[in-house]
Amino acid sequence: MSTSQAIVAGWMESPTSAVNDEARRRAEDEALAALVDQYAGTLYRVAFSVLRNQADAEDAVQEAFVRVLRHRHTLGEVRDHRVWLIRIVWNIVLDRKRRAKTRPETDDVAELARVLPSTGLSAEAIAAAAQHHAHVLACVDQLPAKERQVLMLSAFEELTSVEIASVLGITESSVRSRLFRARNLMADLLEHQRSLR
Amino acid sequence: MNSNPHHPTTSESASSPAEETLRLIASLPAPDGLEDRVNAALSAAPRRGRVLAWPRAIRPESSWMRAAAAAAIVFVVAGGGWGVYTRVEQNQPAKVIAMPPRMPIAGGFSGAGAMRTPQTLPGPAAPQPVKVSEPAKASATQTKTAKKPAARHKTTSNASGQPAATSKTAAQPDASK
Repeated sequence: MSTSQAIVAGWMESPTSAVNDEARRRAEDEALAALVDQYAGTLYRVAFSVLRNQADAEDAVQEAFVRVLRHRHTLGEVRDHRVWLIRIVWNIVLDRKRRAKTRPETDDVAELARVLPSTGLSAEAIAAAAQHHAHVLACVDQLPAKERQVLMLSAFEELTSVEIASVLGITESSVRSRLFRARNLMADLLEHQRSLR
Repeated sequence: MNSNPHHPTTSESASSPAEETLRLIASLPAPDGLEDRVNAALSAAPRRGRVLAWPRAIRPESSWMRAAAAAAIVFVVAGGGWGVYTRVEQNQPAKVIAMPPRMPIAGGFSGAGAMRTPQTLPGPAAPQPVKVSEPAKASATQTKTAKKPAARHKTTSNASGQPAATSKTAAQPDASK
């Protein structure tokens, strides 16, 4: 085979590129598996805090990793994988929440009663706790979207305000001011609910 | 207490029931086997976001397919360039369209050759005639009297030997008699 024929056959491809591609693909798969092992739990908790449904949260985590798989060639450019992954799953769950029809509140209560820790509690206590948490979450849902998002992300111990700002694409000072407003609004809402009872 | 100095939570917020609930939900453990299920989903997922799969015979990776695609691109580009080159005429003369004269419509009213004149704006006003002053009047009468003898001289040269005006004034007393 002459040189020109080899060039046409390879079309800008060296003979070793196939081997390199295979090795690169294997390395990417290993990196992705490591990301799954390391961050699947965190992503699940983020997804569950918004969707409040175990199956939906799991679906969201899988979708996030499938997106990562499609853009796995950009993994090397990502500085903080954790924040990057949380941002991906955060966008997915917000999109799902927006598209999903409003679930009845009873579903939330039942789901919470199922998943919340219940060791050493009676069935009545579990139901009451679930009812209380569902009521609080209903108040959280009444907050403006910006404040609600910051409040929900601030509940994650592993996320700093800088990381919350990175996930939401805002500045750290905006995170702090929104969190302040959210807390005040939540206090007002809970006080109002208490006075109605 | 939170050991992270960057974390936005404060001591008073920790007592908030809303944040307690959110923190409780945020700390829920992931279900068992989540990682395995995600890995299984990843292995089953398509590697590329492809809408249509290429048939095996004409995979884009095959060398002859690439050569054919390159030849097709070259053919299309060269053909397009040649097409443009052959259609473009160089030094094209300017096209002048001769408009036919307007013919009067048969049976219609004629304009009788009337031409429309547009309304003009009011032009500059003419200056008022200047009043003649007294010395100017006097000089005007002097010039008249200076001209009179010449006229009288003209009349004396007639056949009667008297000026016409003077003969008239002389005849009037006679008529009264």
